[in-house]
Amino acid sequence: MESGERKYKNKDITVYWKPSSCIHASTCINELPTVFRTNKKPWVSMEGGSTDKIIEVVDRCPVDALTWKYNDQEKNDGIGNEHPNHVKNRRKTLLTDDSDFDKAISVRMINDGPYIINGSFYLERENGVRTKFNGTVSVCNCGRTKLPPFCDGSHRIG
Amino acid sequence: MESKVSTPVIELIKNGPMRISGNYSITDEKNNKISEGKEVYLCRCGKSLNKPYCDGSHKSNMLDGNQEKESCD
Repeated sequence: MESGERKYKNKDITVYWKPSSCIHASTCINELPTVFRTNKKPWVSMEGGSTDKIIEVVDRCPVDALTWKYNDQEKNDGIGNEHPNHVKNRRKTLLTDDSDFDKAISVRMINDGPYIINGSFYLERENGVRTKFNGTVSVCNCGRTKLPPFCDGSHRIG
Repeated sequence: MESKVSTPVIELIKNGPMRISGNYSITDEKNNKISEGKEVYLCRCGKSLNKPYCDGSHKSNMLDGNQEKESCD
């Protein structure tokens, strides 16, 4: 996934935005300016239009800068060529994208103790292996743990 | 609702700090915000003089629990 990409969600669908593909055909901002807004941040407001209208306009993006899928995976199965910018027809890898929304990782520094890290993230080990975490972990920052990277309470000794 | 497509990654750097790539916020014990951003290197060896950020001081310390001496460069 390239940096700068975004996704926008309402209760029915997720719209993906890939700025590096945009050729500024302006179909979206002309057809549905209440959703695709040039002067606001975030520039896509999913509350600005009906799901059907958003799908219609995203499907008219001439490139894969805007694509979409249903949040209900089963509904994506029935999609065919009638929706040219459904992710299935443009960016198939996004069909299985279920990454979590918008929540920053929070790192809380405990005095003379570990980092308390909360959120949804991948932990990548020194050997390159990634594990998905969803919740809270406590990471050693004193270098004394016997269970790196996690705190084992060794900071209290000595 | 807007989100970056990618999930944040916390990368453990061998005998070095951890790198956070993705939106993060750092607070103190009382949840007062210290900083926020999209990429940061946090000390894991306890030697940094600029905690919680890595300042390179780990180069004389071991982090991964192995007893063998290794270069951190």
